[in-house]
Amino acid sequence: MHITHLSLTNFRNYGRLELELPLGPTLLHGNNAQGKTNLLEAIFYLATTRSPQADQDQQLINWEAAQSEEPIVVGRIQAQLETQTGLRHVEMRLILEQSQSVQRGRRSFRREVLVDRRKVRLMDLLGNLRVVLFLPEDIQLITGAPSQRRRYLDMTLCQVDPVYCRHLSEYNKLLEQRNALLRQIADGTGSLEVLPVFTERLAALGSQIFIRRAVFLAAMSREAQRIHYEELTDKNETIRLNYLPRLEDSGTGQGRLLSELVHVGHWLQEQHDTANAVEKRYREAMTAVRQTDLARGSTSVGPHRDDWYIQLNGRNLGSYGSRGQQRTALLALKMAEINWMTKTTGETPILLLDEVVAELDEQRRALLLNYVKGASQALLTATDPAMFTTDFLRQASSYTVANGRVQIDKIV
Amino acid sequence: MAQNVLPQPVQKLINELGRLPGIGPKSAARLTFYLLRAGDEQALALAQALTDLKQRTRFCSVCFNITEDDPCVICQDDGRDPTMLCVVEEPLDVVAIERSRAFNGRYHVLHGAISPVEGVGPEDLRIAELVARVDGGQFSEIILATNPTLEGESTSLYLQRRLTHPGLRLTRLARGLPVGGDLEYTDEITLGRAMEGRQAM
Repeated sequence: MHITHLSLTNFRNYGRLELELPLGPTLLHGNNAQGKTNLLEAIFYLATTRSPQADQDQQLINWEAAQSEEPIVVGRIQAQLETQTGLRHVEMRLILEQSQSVQRGRRSFRREVLVDRRKVRLMDLLGNLRVVLFLPEDIQLITGAPSQRRRYLDMTLCQVDPVYCRHLSEYNKLLEQRNALLRQIADGTGSLEVLPVFTERLAALGSQIFIRRAVFLAAMSREAQRIHYEELTDKNETIRLNYLPRLEDSGTGQGRLLSELVHVGHWLQEQHDTANAVEKRYREAMTAVRQTDLARGSTSVGPHRDDWYIQLNGRNLGSYGSRGQQRTALLALKMAEINWMTKTTGETPILLLDEVVAELDEQRRALLLNYVKGASQALLTATDPAMFTTDFLRQASSYTVANGRVQIDKIV
Repeated sequence: MAQNVLPQPVQKLINELGRLPGIGPKSAARLTFYLLRAGDEQALALAQALTDLKQRTRFCSVCFNITEDDPCVICQDDGRDPTMLCVVEEPLDVVAIERSRAFNGRYHVLHGAISPVEGVGPEDLRIAELVARVDGGQFSEIILATNPTLEGESTSLYLQRRLTHPGLRLTRLARGLPVGGDLEYTDEITLGRAMEGRQAM
């Protein structure tokens, strides 16, 4: 899959951009703060409907445009795609609008999505464009908060599995309903009789999410382990991805059932017995924490509190690994993500690499660039092209980014 | 702020129309001036319709549909199957099902769906009345025809727990493909449910 044309309007520091994109690797170079990363962000946003950084979406609209007195300001990302199923046009509109119902002077924000120029639901955008993003900040997947790791799971899975995405969205709405109900019961306005309805529905949906995440992490773990062991550490070190599904309120011992079941691997989601076993266990867990939930006014077990971590030689990499080991494991994770997406969907995702090449030693750089060359399209930002080999530079197209404008130096 | 140059009655109508859902100040002003210019009879007919709306309609004491006469025409109709009951969220749902001509039983209108986020619980809906009606005993089947939304489905699930009368058949509408639709453009969940609910030919 690849993008043939990208068009931006009022996005970040771009007022207006029309850009042809070639197949193969393209180097985006230029000084800092010129808009290199914003290009990658725009493509990522179109693929996932989320910004890689947990910004507010309305900040994506060009700042100057957003400050103007116009009653309506529209930021727009459009891409023409070529996929194995044919040509496709996708568009995301970010709309700031003088609202009539909201207080005067305040503007409301909304988004519109179009696929092949037809308005669709936000969720229907997912799966049209698939990307794997490499950012320097990715290290937070190892050292950061659980919410960042869940975000990674969701953004990766949603690009490939639209059912997962719908389940997740419905799960979140139900969770909000259940939490509202818990608070109402606490202050005497809610009905305890209704609680089992939401508990039951959360368990049914949540177990689907648990299972899909478990299957995903099991597949990713196998692939990351292989890459890490064979390609990155000369068969010296072993990593594993461990899933910590929040099936119990306590911190430890959770999810034994799931980790055992995960060995069933790919067939897991077809196994109705497994789904039923997980749902049953989840329901029991919800019943066990009912009093806690009522006291807290929130739901304490469920996929919204999941976590996962990378284990290196049997230890938690986040707590015990060196910075170098963390970076290597991260590289294995991202390469595994590329392979997993390619295998699952039958076509390579678009690779977006932001300044990551600089952090790698020569051997790993060469290895990563092999993945880059293997993808049908890759965009790499770099302040200094000298870090690439002349051989790679010869094979890559080259664009210069300066002050929200892009100049084509060379197309291969 | 500019001085308000509009006569009081004009401004008042703009304000009232502006309170309606989906109508902002500009639409309200446009409608008001349209009525101002329109013939007397059109404005008066609208006024009469509004008065009648509140004075001549009420809820049917049996099914809680909106009606002019109590009980409503459907509840009074002896030609309808008294053993079948269809539970819907809103009066407009009754209209939709009636249009389908696929159902010839009685209705019960809940006037909403359970949604804690919006502060709507079972006690805000006509659920106690529904349970009492079913307790009364003449129904053999209850069709839960709430919307296939999160709130509608939660409401159905709740009703399922409340209506546990022996011998009573609880059903819900099938989920699946719209007639005249295109398989290719159907979302995954709908298609998945259509597959689950497939029927022998």
